[in-house]
Amino acid sequence: MNRAFLANLVRLAITLAVIGTVILAVLLPFALPHDHPGTVIAAFLLGPLSSLRHLGNVAEYATPIAFTGLAATVVFRSGLFNLGIESGVFLGGLAATTAALLLPSFGPFTPLVAIVFGAVVGSISCIIPGELRLRWEAPEMVTSLVLNFAILYAGVFFLNYYLRDPAAGSLMSYRIPADAKLDRLLAGTRLNSGAIVALVACLAGGVWLYFTRSGLNLRIVGQGPVFASHLGLSSRRIVMQAQIVGGMIAGMAGAIQVLGLYPRFSWTQLPGLGWTGIIIAILARENPFYVVPAALFLGYLQVGGDFLARDIGIPSEVVGLITAAIMLAVTATAIFQHPAVLRLIRRIRRVEAAR
Amino acid sequence: MTGLLNIVADPATFATVLRVMTPLLIAALGILISDRAGVFNLGMEGMMLTGALVGVLVSAWTGSAWLGLLAAVVAGGLMGALMAFAVNTLGANLIITGIAMNLAASSGTTLGLFFATGDKGMSGALKSGVMPSIDLPFVGDIPVIGPFLSGHNVLTYGALLAVPLVSLMMARTAFGLRIRAVGVDPKAAATVGISVKLIQLKALILSGVLGGMAGAYLSMGYVSWFAQDMTAGRGFIAIAIEVMGMGTAWGTLAATIVIAIAETLAITMQTLGLPNELMQMIPYVVPIVVLTIWTARGRAKRVALK
Repeated sequence: MNRAFLANLVRLAITLAVIGTVILAVLLPFALPHDHPGTVIAAFLLGPLSSLRHLGNVAEYATPIAFTGLAATVVFRSGLFNLGIESGVFLGGLAATTAALLLPSFGPFTPLVAIVFGAVVGSISCIIPGELRLRWEAPEMVTSLVLNFAILYAGVFFLNYYLRDPAAGSLMSYRIPADAKLDRLLAGTRLNSGAIVALVACLAGGVWLYFTRSGLNLRIVGQGPVFASHLGLSSRRIVMQAQIVGGMIAGMAGAIQVLGLYPRFSWTQLPGLGWTGIIIAILARENPFYVVPAALFLGYLQVGGDFLARDIGIPSEVVGLITAAIMLAVTATAIFQHPAVLRLIRRIRRVEAAR
Repeated sequence: MTGLLNIVADPATFATVLRVMTPLLIAALGILISDRAGVFNLGMEGMMLTGALVGVLVSAWTGSAWLGLLAAVVAGGLMGALMAFAVNTLGANLIITGIAMNLAASSGTTLGLFFATGDKGMSGALKSGVMPSIDLPFVGDIPVIGPFLSGHNVLTYGALLAVPLVSLMMARTAFGLRIRAVGVDPKAAATVGISVKLIQLKALILSGVLGGMAGAYLSMGYVSWFAQDMTAGRGFIAIAIEVMGMGTAWGTLAATIVIAIAETLAITMQTLGLPNELMQMIPYVVPIVVLTIWTARGRAKRVALK
């Protein structure tokens, strides 16, 4: 066995142990006042696994956040902390709806056209903060943070004045035509063909980042711009490429979410999928291959939360608390770079080397 | 045009600017203190939200708005302490900790409201308190400017008073000097015997205290109830304001005034029949433009010096 692999296994085992502890620690205060605390925890942990339909729900939740997780991974790998993916999702969904409603039908290619349109428009949200940073050194974290809200209101304006169905009760678009919708994969769930695209995208992202020259260039630039410039790499172009690609993936997330799940476009707030994407990127240690399991895991927590809400009467928001605690725990260097852990890993490597 | 002039000359417009300004100014000063100590508080949005809920709940239980404010401030301070613990003891990333704080506060306040009232969206059923407005003696009687200066919320005066206080604290006290030393170079500060972790803990608690106060103003002054995610990105605007203010209290005040005027303009222009979504964009677009111009000018200067 590969020693690097074994060392990684140690980290994985610690991660899983930490996550398990955190889930129990957050859930216990909610479970203990209940008559049967065990049933609360069982509903949360085992509910999502109880039937094929619920597993389908897990995958359904995981689909958009796998995209945003991949988007966050690509953007963060460039070294910029660009939070524009949040509004990129919103913009992608809005643009895809616009394409589905206003462009003529392209037969079986209608969803594809709408998704591409959503991806291209969605990328604007990451390109603007990236460009302001590269050209004028404006701090991208701050500009992208407020730009998210500016884009939200611009989008709501567009929805209200150009796409709004006056016959609908509240602010929402006309019905999305049937030929623009994505195919459903599993009866009783909203799992759609977008899930397959998400899986392929994450695998392709991993291959790109680890097995191609341009992926290597991105990793070099993100880790050390100075070193990259000594190698003769054009940092500016490579960083911009990552913002465009990341923004497009975020736009795809929104497009696929709207075309796959909803009868109409009705977002009037930021959907929050971009923030979840950041959490996924952190859980996956900014590795596209790990984005899929990380997204499935968060989907599993979300379905568990739905079980709590439905069977026990505890609001599913408890999942937010659990996720926040997991974010802190898995990035805690006090745990993952604890001298004992590092010693263990070093010993495994030495044993392997001696063989 | 006379319509617009009447709006500008109206004390009510001035009062709106102050109302919009108050939570942003308090929060931005809180971010300033954390920023100068080298622990940028991205969790401000969550601290405000927590303060807003705790203020409403405690004031409803005790019947006292002041006790509500006190509880909100304590809750904010505790979140600041938690953030310091996560960053300095657990060794979690600062930005990720801030994001986690916001997520936890958004979910936690919804849960808290649900368990306290059985409702997930609004606290309308609770009889919560409101911070009083103050009619300044003598000042209120001055002709012309009197109506502009008097009769505002006590926290509005508090926010305005906090500007010179924070400025003095940062510039003239030993604590402020230590905060700045830690923020500029933690290792150098440690070599002269300053406990970096302790200073950052204090700075984050102070930052959280101000965040709790800003939140309490939202739910017990700006309006008189708590609603799910009612901060609506104000903590993020406060971040932009602090960066625009270049890390000084007076700069932060100036930036807050600019943003508050933009937002007031947006509110009043809606009444003139302009599409309100586009007007709502203004306070978010202004910081992007200002920040870009300032950093571009800063770079041009550095290039000229070379």
